[in-house]
Amino acid sequence: MSASEDEAAVQQVLDGNAGAFEGVVRRWQGPLINLAYRFCRDRGRAEEMAQEAFLRAYRSLDRWRREAAFSTWLFALATNLYCSELRRIPARTVALDDVAEPRDPRAIDGGLEQEDQDRIVRRAVHALPPKYREAVTLFYFHDMDIAAASHSLSLPEGTVKARLSRGRAILRSKLSQHLVAPLLRKEA
Amino acid sequence: MRDPDLDRILSKEEEILPSSGFAASVMEAVQREAAAPPPIPFPWKRALPGLCVAGLTLVSLIISSIVLITHGVPGQSIPRSWLAASASFVAASRNLGAAWILVALLLSFASVQLAMHFASNRMPRYQRI
Repeated sequence: MSASEDEAAVQQVLDGNAGAFEGVVRRWQGPLINLAYRFCRDRGRAEEMAQEAFLRAYRSLDRWRREAAFSTWLFALATNLYCSELRRIPARTVALDDVAEPRDPRAIDGGLEQEDQDRIVRRAVHALPPKYREAVTLFYFHDMDIAAASHSLSLPEGTVKARLSRGRAILRSKLSQHLVAPLLRKEA
Repeated sequence: MRDPDLDRILSKEEEILPSSGFAASVMEAVQREAAAPPPIPFPWKRALPGLCVAGLTLVSLIISSIVLITHGVPGQSIPRSWLAASASFVAASRNLGAAWILVALLLSFASVQLAMHFASNRMPRYQRI
């Protein structure tokens, strides 16, 4: 289904054919669930949030003004919902200081096993303050496209860049302690 | 850790697949939504007379308050008829407990405004696209 098919499906729904919305759901279910999963790291909750996003989109279809692509509108709606939901009921997070030490601190790359390193980095992103976590999550979700991330967050690009930069700085600072300290302890 | 390392790790996120019944479950909810009767609109026509009366009462109270305040200022001449009318209005208002009604109205107005403010802050952004 292309962008024009999205538009046609939306028009059919607005004309009273609710079943036409299924095409929209099938096309966007993967991206919306994956976006939710990146926010909450819980598969079940990701599907619940994505379902709510589709329902809200269905209710608000008449408010899509077609000034932006349907996908842009849908991602902005979903992002708004996910951020609100996670501020209302935060996802279960583990503070970076409580993250268990890696299994083998020396295995690869002069330090951690790749899998451990990835896990620690993702937990560090999850432990960021919401406004930085949202910018970082959206930036990588949209394949490092600042414009797309800023559309989804409905924020100016400059704001997203600043939050991304600050988020990365926090990550670097946190991760330098957590990825280097085990090595130093091992060597001592 | 450098930015390219962060980029490398965070770009290769695992993709999860929707469960098999996800689309069907969404469409079931959509069909339920479509079948539900439309929400009942606020009965503005019926509420309008009451709102007008409340507004007029409020304006009258404000005017009478101003009159009473200016009456206390020395050298200020106020027509006797105004004073008599405002005095009887204030007496009637006291008997009816108008001050409490006014407080209740103001509190209701403030709470509605606050609720609308929060509601408009919750979903404002994507609706502008």
